[in-house]
Amino acid sequence: MMSFSALYSKLRKKNIGQYTLLSCCCFFSVMLITSYIFMMRSPTILDVLPEGGDSRKQVMMIFVLAVIGCAVFTTYAAGLFFRQKSKETGVFLALGASKKQLKSELWKELSIISIISCGLGAILGIPLAYIIWSIFRLFIVDTEEMALNFDINSYSYIIIFSIYVIFMLFIMGYKSIMKTNIIDIIKQTHSAEPVHSVPKWFGLVGIILLILGGFCGYIAPSIFILGLHWYPPEGLTAIFYIPALIGLYMILLHTVSNGWNKRKKYKDIISVSMMKFQGRQTVRNMLVMTLLIAGAYFGSFYTPMLGTGAIMSFDDRPIDYAYHFRADQNIPKKDEVFKLADKYNVKITSWADVPMARLGVDGEMSVEKETSLGTTWESVYYNLLQSQIFLSKSSYEALTGEDININSGEIAGIMDTSGDGQGVFGGDVTLVTNTITGESWSFKPIEHLCNDILFGRYVVSDEDYQKIITGLPLDWQERMVFFNVENDEQTYDFAKALFNEIVDHSGKEVAVYDSFDPILKQVHEELYGYYFLDEQEPPNYDNRNSSDFRMYWQYMPQFRVLDKADFIKTTAVFLMLFIFISIICFVAVIVIAFTRCITIAISNKKVYDDLRHLGASNNYLNNCARSQVKKVFLVPIITGTSLIYIFYSMIMFFNDNRLTFYEIAGLLVCLVLIAIISFVLYLIYRLTLRKVLNILKI
Amino acid sequence: MLTVKNLHKSYKVGKTKYEVLKGVSLEVNKGEFIAVMGSSGSGKTTLLNCISCYIPSDDGSILLGDIELAKLDEKSLSKIRNEKLGFVFQDFLLLDGLTVRENILLPAIIGGKINNQIEIRAEQLCDIFGIKSIQNKYPADISGGEKQRTAVARAIINNPLLILADEPTGNLDSKSSRAVISSFEQAKKSLGATILMVTHDSFAASFCDKVIVLKDGTVWRTLEKGTMNRLDFQDHLLSAISDMGKE
Repeated sequence: MMSFSALYSKLRKKNIGQYTLLSCCCFFSVMLITSYIFMMRSPTILDVLPEGGDSRKQVMMIFVLAVIGCAVFTTYAAGLFFRQKSKETGVFLALGASKKQLKSELWKELSIISIISCGLGAILGIPLAYIIWSIFRLFIVDTEEMALNFDINSYSYIIIFSIYVIFMLFIMGYKSIMKTNIIDIIKQTHSAEPVHSVPKWFGLVGIILLILGGFCGYIAPSIFILGLHWYPPEGLTAIFYIPALIGLYMILLHTVSNGWNKRKKYKDIISVSMMKFQGRQTVRNMLVMTLLIAGAYFGSFYTPMLGTGAIMSFDDRPIDYAYHFRADQNIPKKDEVFKLADKYNVKITSWADVPMARLGVDGEMSVEKETSLGTTWESVYYNLLQSQIFLSKSSYEALTGEDININSGEIAGIMDTSGDGQGVFGGDVTLVTNTITGESWSFKPIEHLCNDILFGRYVVSDEDYQKIITGLPLDWQERMVFFNVENDEQTYDFAKALFNEIVDHSGKEVAVYDSFDPILKQVHEELYGYYFLDEQEPPNYDNRNSSDFRMYWQYMPQFRVLDKADFIKTTAVFLMLFIFISIICFVAVIVIAFTRCITIAISNKKVYDDLRHLGASNNYLNNCARSQVKKVFLVPIITGTSLIYIFYSMIMFFNDNRLTFYEIAGLLVCLVLIAIISFVLYLIYRLTLRKVLNILKI
Repeated sequence: MLTVKNLHKSYKVGKTKYEVLKGVSLEVNKGEFIAVMGSSGSGKTTLLNCISCYIPSDDGSILLGDIELAKLDEKSLSKIRNEKLGFVFQDFLLLDGLTVRENILLPAIIGGKINNQIEIRAEQLCDIFGIKSIQNKYPADISGGEKQRTAVARAIINNPLLILADEPTGNLDSKSSRAVISSFEQAKKSLGATILMVTHDSFAASFCDKVIVLKDGTVWRTLEKGTMNRLDFQDHLLSAISDMGKE
């Protein structure tokens, strides 16, 4: 004899598909978020991503996007589950089951579903992150700093997300039972989600809002900071992107409800009308997918942009080996380097070794002030603002082989050839100070010189150089060495050995970041009471192979063969993190698109049967189904991909109001990447379409 | 048995209010088989849904025996629905995951009254309604007529005071419709059931003792079969409906 619980359990077994779909969606969302959060909060990653830096902000931004995406698709799956269950609930209520009776059964099964799926997701998310990371280490790159550690405190974030999933399930379950109108509950399974008539102008206005929002959002911080001299709170500038989001929603709504091609109005009438009646949920899903695609590509572009520029710049270097060191350091001299080269059978074909000096210079600095409006700034001129490295005209010529013309009283800054470094270039110098003697000299800036290795330094005439360095102790002087070798590509072992020699012979006093400046430190301490680099651990010689050391040590040598070979290794954590993020976002997109298409197929099955009865051929039905699946898959993918590509190009362009050669090359590589990923997504689209056609028996 | 007095119900669509029932009153006595007819939109289904309290009414009273249904709390109402009322829906509303036999037993299972006696009764009902051979099949494997006869058996299993049927033949072919109406007659005759059936089908209504015709949310006329045979009563119904159309 059957009890109500046994009956409920039998129905559960019969409808196992619905339960599986809901459980899988909860499981997937928690697992994806778990692996993302564990990766993001991992000490391995946090050690590499500077606190408050752009990379960390980007990772956080995409994480928020992934959380929204997972929350939306889980909520959607729950909505679908309760819709399908509503007939059962309605019949029970109509036949006299009490709400208490139903609640008790529902609570039991929701508890099991939510605890098991969230629990499993939270447990398996860590191995997922670990497996993906291990695959990277196995097939792409493996360095000591890539050893993955997890921070167990990350579980607090997972608990918050799981609580959302559990609460959402229970609240939706409660609402599904507590409706007063039983007929509404019974009919809920068949009720549509109409998009109320969407005006035709939605498409055009959507495009305008999207462009306007994207542009305003991008330039708003510049207007605040450069125009108003005010650092706005981060949330405020984000508000300017809202029109873009509204515009995107309007475009998708117009696409689903009206379509863009008026000529095809009757050809697509069936698929468009079916999509219309799944409207609200479809558009919401498509919006989330678009944003996730954008986030996924944003993560994917990081590697090609960084890699292409870096690898091309290594090739473009005018010299094979370059290094500089403080003159008071016991770094291997010329004969020792030649000896080491002999040991590795490397033939040095040219050698230049010149002195340089660190001197104080004038300049303008943005001085921040806390006011009632928040942080504002004003530009203040300082006679002695920071230090820069100086070379004499003859030293520059000895290093580069160029003939330059600099007269006494003139000063030339050295830019990089691509122009990428414009933003970090110290600017024109008019006053130079010998910080030891306190003597100052006025200079007239002349046209910049161009050299990638010497970028950021300044050149004065030989007489002026001798004058300004008089009395400078060795710790304010440097030496720069340039040399070329035969068969540069085959000298990796020598390069590595020389690099190790240089690091081994460098003292603690030169373990500083490249942005460390002893004069700026004094200015900051007087102005703010602290210097920002004092709060950071200095570069550690024991971690000489880490990306942090290789990228930021002030005296890091530039050996082409070493930099090229180790580039992937030294930037591995960055690159892998962004690849990982992309994978998570793409997986979320695929899960949403797949479940949405399957839902559309299931809910429209009867319409397809009716069309078949009305004489529709298999070919016609196939086209209808294809059109629907295409819309769910292709519209968000095309929109998200184009938007992020345009946005990314915009970022590159507005950095310095031009696209450098490396940036153009990077953007082209991104296009190739888009082509490859789009092909993979197309294959998944084909698989989904096949599954949909199977469900519809076409 | 059932007394409906001055029942009002309206729906709001946007800012417009549509009054569907405008003071309907009727009475159903024990053992009667009554049909409610009327044109589309006359309020037939709304009336039935209000009587069963599936949807709340705006005003008026619904007395089942001496119980005022509209005033009952959720718990008592569930008990009434389970023990005193039986329902037959136009689209059957059988649960696809349960067999025919389990669907019939559903009200008893919900009420926690499952025992040997009720199982024997389910067996008997299957016998009476000619669905014994399919009792272990699932709804997806049986015909529309068989589904509706299963629904009738389910409505009767708890021996309710009143069976409410909403267009029970609406989705059926003539042969199946006849079988379903026969099952109602059988329930009335053998089990003493009282039936209130909403239908637009004059053939189905001609088997009833009394037909209440609704027009624009009010009772337009009540037609009694009396001593008339079924065919004459059907003609009488058709002529009355034709008169209603002329007004």
